[in-house]
Amino acid sequence: MKMRLLTNLLQDKLAVLSLAVIGLILAAGAMAPVFAPHDPNAVNMDLRYAGASWHYLLGNDHLGRCILSRLIYGIRPSVLGVLAALFVSVALGAFLGLVAGYFKGKTDAVIMRVCDIMLSFPGYVMTLAIVGILGVGLGNILLAFMLLKWAWFARIIRASVLQAAEADYIKFARITGVPSITILLRHVVPVVSADIAVVASSSFGSMILQLSGFSFLGLGVQAPNAEWGMMLNEARDVMFSRPELMLAPGLAIVLTVSAVNFMSDALQTALDPTLSKTNRKFREQASLPVKLRGKEVA
Amino acid sequence: MKRMRFKFSLAIMLGLTLLLAGCGDGNGAENGAENGTESSRAEASEELVYASTKDILDMNPHLYAGSMPAQGMVYESLVENTKDGIKPLLAESWEISEDGKVYTFHLRQDVKFHDGEPFNAEAVKQNIEAVQHNAAKHSWIKLSTKIVSSNVIDEYTVQFVLSEAYYPALTELSMTRPYVFISPNDLINGDSKDGVSGYNGTGPYKLKEHKVEQYAVFEANEQYWGGAPKVKRITAKVLPEGETTFLALQKGEVNFVFTDDRGTDSLDVEAMNQLVDSGDYQLVRSEPMNTKMIVANSSKQGSPAQDTKVREAIWHAIDRETISKQIFAGTEAPANTLFSSNVNYANVPMKERAYDPEAAKRLLDEAGWILAEGEAVRAKDGQKLAMKLYYDVNSGSQKTEAEFIQHAVGQIGMQLEVIGEESTSIANRRSTGDYDLLMNQTWGLAYDPQSTIAAFTSETSYRHTTSGIARAEELYGKIDEVMVASDETQRAALYKDILTIVHDEAVFIPLTNGSVTVIAPANLQDVSFKQTQFELPFEQMHFDASE
Repeated sequence: MKMRLLTNLLQDKLAVLSLAVIGLILAAGAMAPVFAPHDPNAVNMDLRYAGASWHYLLGNDHLGRCILSRLIYGIRPSVLGVLAALFVSVALGAFLGLVAGYFKGKTDAVIMRVCDIMLSFPGYVMTLAIVGILGVGLGNILLAFMLLKWAWFARIIRASVLQAAEADYIKFARITGVPSITILLRHVVPVVSADIAVVASSSFGSMILQLSGFSFLGLGVQAPNAEWGMMLNEARDVMFSRPELMLAPGLAIVLTVSAVNFMSDALQTALDPTLSKTNRKFREQASLPVKLRGKEVA
Repeated sequence: MKRMRFKFSLAIMLGLTLLLAGCGDGNGAENGAENGTESSRAEASEELVYASTKDILDMNPHLYAGSMPAQGMVYESLVENTKDGIKPLLAESWEISEDGKVYTFHLRQDVKFHDGEPFNAEAVKQNIEAVQHNAAKHSWIKLSTKIVSSNVIDEYTVQFVLSEAYYPALTELSMTRPYVFISPNDLINGDSKDGVSGYNGTGPYKLKEHKVEQYAVFEANEQYWGGAPKVKRITAKVLPEGETTFLALQKGEVNFVFTDDRGTDSLDVEAMNQLVDSGDYQLVRSEPMNTKMIVANSSKQGSPAQDTKVREAIWHAIDRETISKQIFAGTEAPANTLFSSNVNYANVPMKERAYDPEAAKRLLDEAGWILAEGEAVRAKDGQKLAMKLYYDVNSGSQKTEAEFIQHAVGQIGMQLEVIGEESTSIANRRSTGDYDLLMNQTWGLAYDPQSTIAAFTSETSYRHTTSGIARAEELYGKIDEVMVASDETQRAALYKDILTIVHDEAVFIPLTNGSVTVIAPANLQDVSFKQTQFELPFEQMHFDASE
């Protein structure tokens, strides 16, 4: 299974490229002090709005800080922070989805009604409400993501678990008295992991955008720490006199989100043989259950 | 599918661009339709549309919520504060009794309120009483605590009786609020403290239409006693964001911008220069009017800002030259004292506190704020040297300054959290004492030093700033004394002591000397300023007919 995934993925050039871009971004973020040429918070007013130079490859911002360094340090909240929040909410959602889908009955009903409650509020509004209660800051927005996104994951994962649990080999395992936990881990999780990966990766892009959006509004990362959305907001003040300042953070967001989305797409193809290139039409129909994404990316 | 995903990414990109454009242009697009005709008319019939970061709010002149430039157009006071001293306005002349306790004003006889009601001694009396009924609200203006009664002598003569001689009385009567006059018909049961039923003043402009959070239209008062103003229509348009304002100026949707009453300049220096270079606009800058400063809360329990040495350290840590040169492109001079030396009574020698990070570090060491090995922030008895600095979120320059200062004090081991808020919320923090540091400004030539200093004792202004210092009682005593001092040399000596105390305590940390900046159509003539930074003499402006 894993081999097939890898070979499938590697056949897709766009996927390889996307993976490389994402890998590079993650590595640069994780090892920001190594990659960044300068201290991202070092103010040097003499270099206010200085253009690109060999010393400062992307120029300097309104406080003379190195834009490239801020961009690299900005990966941490913008991408790594989101990734962490994503893992937590996917883990929570996957656990509840598995439980609900496998045990059905009352457990399922309770979990799903809680999901319904969570999903009945628009994500943005709930995030704003949580920020309103807990105060602005990156941590609170990520917390809001974790608290809100799991319901959506649980829903989708439950759907695929329901399908998988009907399979004969699982029925057989049940009858022969294999403990539920073993069945879940050994037989159900491998089957639904494909769906989990696809759902998670497709949410990743939208979450990056949302976080940047909230930071743009000044609700996320607080000064002086760098974040892409906040850098955009800072550049906005001089949007007409120095439009070029919007380019770096804007392109960084576009590049990352595009790469994540291409990768998510490729992952879906690689994991699901029915979606191979030969029968595209069928694929579009088949992929509907996990393709509620349009709604997610508001 | 792949294609679909690609489209999807494209849509994200597009969405992002649209989102950005949308943020900037929201107001413009919304109002464009209804004002399309209006703005083209703006050029034809020569009216002014000014951009304001916030709504004009409550136009009740006896309260403090409203926009002062707007109130200044509609309402007038008895006397006017000019460069050459107090001049007649609604009062033609006045007499002050020997003991300084009785003021008799002879009113102009040709003045009518906008609703046709005559302006006379009875109207003055009713207005003054309406203000006095709400005296607690006006504690910053000491006259409100001194007026005992106001008496109608004859139809156009009115007399104020004070409890004691009070030298800034005329200055305080000249202010934009609260001692200005609204038609008695608009008072509700003779009071204004719970609102008024209309906004009829005596000023050169009448409020014609007000759409909350959108715009307010003022029309020339053709019956104005000083002659009908030449600019027939002034519209105040709410545009909170600098770049929206900039676009609106370029498109001609608005044609006038000025530093607002809370000192917010929504345009940065470069954007202004770009507008002037286009040839359509002129930039007019007043002489320095105020001092922009950081106000430290000396009375907040548990805040490091209570410590004089910490405040002094902040003072030393800020490089004002750089702020002046880089952030303001040289348009605002660095300030080293609370009032610049051209302010009355303020030419006092003070201990200089130059930019000197090393001195700042020494001060903090002395005060026991120690930087432990491997730490970035100093601490004392387990408490971190961390504070919050609030700034006006609509002012681009304040934000940059705040971030610059955040970095500067970071270098000396002080952690500063900078928080941008609406100016109303900053004002609220100032009066409730819920802050460590906040960015503020002195009140301008007409108010400095007497009103700003009187405000040191006022709960709604700087009480929290000053009450925590060691010599607070002495300071308040001297302030009370100076306001009633009749002898010039005694007054000067008292002011010197007051200024020295607040300087030594470093509760007001000066940054630069600010001025009022106006961007006006290039053919607008006689753009001038008043002594206050809060209003503009729109009635004197007119368009050059030759263009």
